[in-house]
Amino acid sequence: MLTKKQKRINWILVAVMIVLSLFFLFPVIWMLANSFKTDAAITNDMNSMAAFIPPALNGSFFDNYITILTNTNFIRYMVNTLFYAAVLIVLGIIVNGLAGYALAKINFPFKERWLMIIMLLMIVPMETIITIHFLFIAKLGLLNTIIGYVLPMIVNPFNIFLFRQVFVSLPDDVYEAAQLDYCNPIKYFFTMVLPMSKSVVATVSVFTFLNVWNDYLWPSLVFTSSDLLTAQIGLNAITSNENTTMGQTLAVITLVTIPVIIIYALFSKQIVEGVVSTGSKEG
Amino acid sequence: MSFIELKNVCKQYPNTDKKAVTDFNLKIDEKEFIAFVGPSGCGKSTTLRMIAGFEAITSGELYIDGKKMNEIAPRDRGISMVFQNYALYPHMTVEKNIGYGLKNMKVPADEIKKKVDWAIDILGLSEYRYRKPKNLSGGQRQRVALGRAIVKNQKVFLMDEPLSNLDAKLRVSMRNEISKLHRSLGSTTIYVTHDQVEAMTMADRIVIMKDGIVQQIGKPMELYEHPVNKFVAGFIGSPQMNFFEVTVDGKQITFSDGNRIQITAEMAEKLNDHSHKMILGIRGEDIKFDSQNLDVFKENRQQAIIDNTEIMGNENNLYFEFGGTTTVARVSKYEVCNIGDKVEFVFVPHKMHFFDSETEQAIVL
Amino acid sequence: MKKKSESILGMAFFGPALILLTLFLFLPMVLTLIFSFTDFFALNPSLTHFVGLDNYSQVLKDEDFRQAFSNTVKFVLIIVPLQGLGALGLALLINKVTYCKTYFKVAFFIPVVMSLAVVSTLWVQIYSPEGILNSLLANIGIEAQPFINSATQALPSIAFMSAWQGVGYQMIIFLGGLQAINPALYEAAEMDHASGWQKFKDITLPELKPLCIFVFITITIGAFRMLVQPMVMTGGGPSHSTYTMVYDIYETGTVNWEIGLASTMAIVFAFFVMILTVIQTILTRDKEGKKHVNKKAKTN
Repeated sequence: MLTKKQKRINWILVAVMIVLSLFFLFPVIWMLANSFKTDAAITNDMNSMAAFIPPALNGSFFDNYITILTNTNFIRYMVNTLFYAAVLIVLGIIVNGLAGYALAKINFPFKERWLMIIMLLMIVPMETIITIHFLFIAKLGLLNTIIGYVLPMIVNPFNIFLFRQVFVSLPDDVYEAAQLDYCNPIKYFFTMVLPMSKSVVATVSVFTFLNVWNDYLWPSLVFTSSDLLTAQIGLNAITSNENTTMGQTLAVITLVTIPVIIIYALFSKQIVEGVVSTGSKEG
Repeated sequence: MSFIELKNVCKQYPNTDKKAVTDFNLKIDEKEFIAFVGPSGCGKSTTLRMIAGFEAITSGELYIDGKKMNEIAPRDRGISMVFQNYALYPHMTVEKNIGYGLKNMKVPADEIKKKVDWAIDILGLSEYRYRKPKNLSGGQRQRVALGRAIVKNQKVFLMDEPLSNLDAKLRVSMRNEISKLHRSLGSTTIYVTHDQVEAMTMADRIVIMKDGIVQQIGKPMELYEHPVNKFVAGFIGSPQMNFFEVTVDGKQITFSDGNRIQITAEMAEKLNDHSHKMILGIRGEDIKFDSQNLDVFKENRQQAIIDNTEIMGNENNLYFEFGGTTTVARVSKYEVCNIGDKVEFVFVPHKMHFFDSETEQAIVL
Repeated sequence: MKKKSESILGMAFFGPALILLTLFLFLPMVLTLIFSFTDFFALNPSLTHFVGLDNYSQVLKDEDFRQAFSNTVKFVLIIVPLQGLGALGLALLINKVTYCKTYFKVAFFIPVVMSLAVVSTLWVQIYSPEGILNSLLANIGIEAQPFINSATQALPSIAFMSAWQGVGYQMIIFLGGLQAINPALYEAAEMDHASGWQKFKDITLPELKPLCIFVFITITIGAFRMLVQPMVMTGGGPSHSTYTMVYDIYETGTVNWEIGLASTMAIVFAFFVMILTVIQTILTRDKEGKKHVNKKAKTN
């Protein structure tokens, strides 16, 4: 129950927040509006409200986007990144998931100690060892290869720990029932454990995707060949080209963001849960 | 040769000094329905899980159909099992759940379908065939678990407290169904429960356990009529048997509140081999209030005031203070009493049980 | 026999992860530590010597690395209040409003969705001398600012942008925390005639305290790990004013191939980040830990 006065305050608050959010989003609005303009139009509009309004819908409306998609390697970069993400999601779920399952449900030597080590590894920042990764991959002659890029990224102590935490609460009797149904452990993991833990599989997949999509340093070290670049590195290659206009730059960064927006829209529940749990869970 | 045999089976968990199961010996015939019953933690589930192969046998031997099973993997023991929490595969439909084992056994698809159809039919699950477990009620889930166990045609059925998650009414009807299923399939069944009513109503023979040790093995009525110790006497039957601390002196038995009854010379002779202190047990229905019994055993008439009554409809429980403890008697619905009534009653002499007050073992009369 | 086969199964399941962990975490960590005591130069590995703590004294005296560290400290001092308190403020406001809640959540979360490279590229345009920000400032009578082109303004500009990019993330964390507060507390306070401010001071803030610590330290750790923004926007300049530790590690190790020196920097960097992580874990886990101990005591 709100009193009349509280209602009025609420409306004022909403109005203030809307103004605040528009100010907050002005870079994004500007980016979208001007990604459809020529550089001359962008400069021309700069001093008026027109800077935040897209141009009239005419034949050249999508020119910047068309140029990016046809004249650059952009689509290639996007496909590359999606492919790397898919590979890392599959391998990551298998490797980290199996390890998490072993730590949760199977008795093997030093199990508790392994778990401790995994938890300790979670606090090591990756930047510390990235030089050595680079050295390894270079020595193995794997620079500029997909294997070289993927190999160090598969195993992830966070994901092992996350899987373990979920698997540990799976009921044991289902495993026993499956044993009596002639189901072997490997089959049990893939046909029972993973389907029973859809939500953690989705969470790990989404975060792996975002990680691959947003990663900058590692792909910039491994890939120099234009054919293999990820979207983030490719974006840099495109925008630092002298022939790229400001409008085209804005179009590229808009395009790079679209897949992530789709992922967020589809998996907002898992992502928000993941984000909130990083704050509340801790261990 | 018996179908299943347990020889001196023991279970001791690592880093504990007490055995969870001690020297379990049992021979089970083919098609027999055996119930393991006892309070929680008595080792009944552990024993079942050793038979299934989910727990290693610490020492002793297990034979099924003449073969030693100690080192055999669960799935190769020719058993199927129904779990307390059903253990259904949550992402599979009823049909897939039931057929999963057959599929893994590489049974041809049309045969799987035939068998699944049969199980679904006799369990009355046809409406729910394409549902997943989360959309089923407890009773339906239990049926699916049963279905999964019966389609595989295994010779041994293990059931671990299968009805404990159901409500009282459903429990009674499922009890019935499992009994019928057992009769029509004829598979050897071991049924674990903490509920003595389930054990009494369903089993051919009951194994009653406490603290990992078998207390008594026998047909339901044997356990009821001739419990070997105070624990069995108290565990089987509801309301619980009444126990009194008494002193036996010749033919005279004195209760702790000073009331006395006389026993026959024959009984007295057998009791006198033991110490004077004893525990007398009598079931509620063997305390009689009717004039006929009062007449026959008139020298042992006792008096008490009713404290409380439980009206069940078909019969009534009467509570009163006697012999230094709260005593419950079970009377027919025609013998109505009110709280505060002064009543006369007798203990039917040949229905009295005596237990050694030290060992709590029954003294056979 | 059963035990043995279970051990084999466990090792088979854990094995792939263990091999990769060894190759790409244990081994690199050990090597980083070893290299930090040598003058390992990747282009001429045969000339490697053990140099004891020379690298460490060199790194601690190194102008660039010291500058990188002081940049990080300055960056933290700007971004922690800006992003942390900003997120808290936004969460409190959004928790309060009854209309358009979802719109506000999405609006302030949008920059989080954009990658650092995207945001950096965008803000290079926004911060440019003839860019939109300067034109907006001109409208309210403020003269054009150099922003990322000036040694004094570059770092605060990047800090402001980073706060803008990340604030929505922490806002969601705080919103989660606010929703987790038992509403009965507010109802009880209402019965005790508490004012709005008192409720905030005596219920909301104490309940959110562990979360605040968590968020502030997370932002600090993020600041220590900063790389992409200066890499894309300023190249560490002007005159090293936006140089960071990770940037230094990256240039020393993978551009100049001075692995020994880079390893030393990495160890110093890891030292700071791990200390922060441990502090964070201890401070935020304390309460949970106590709860856990209590529970254990009860069951025993």
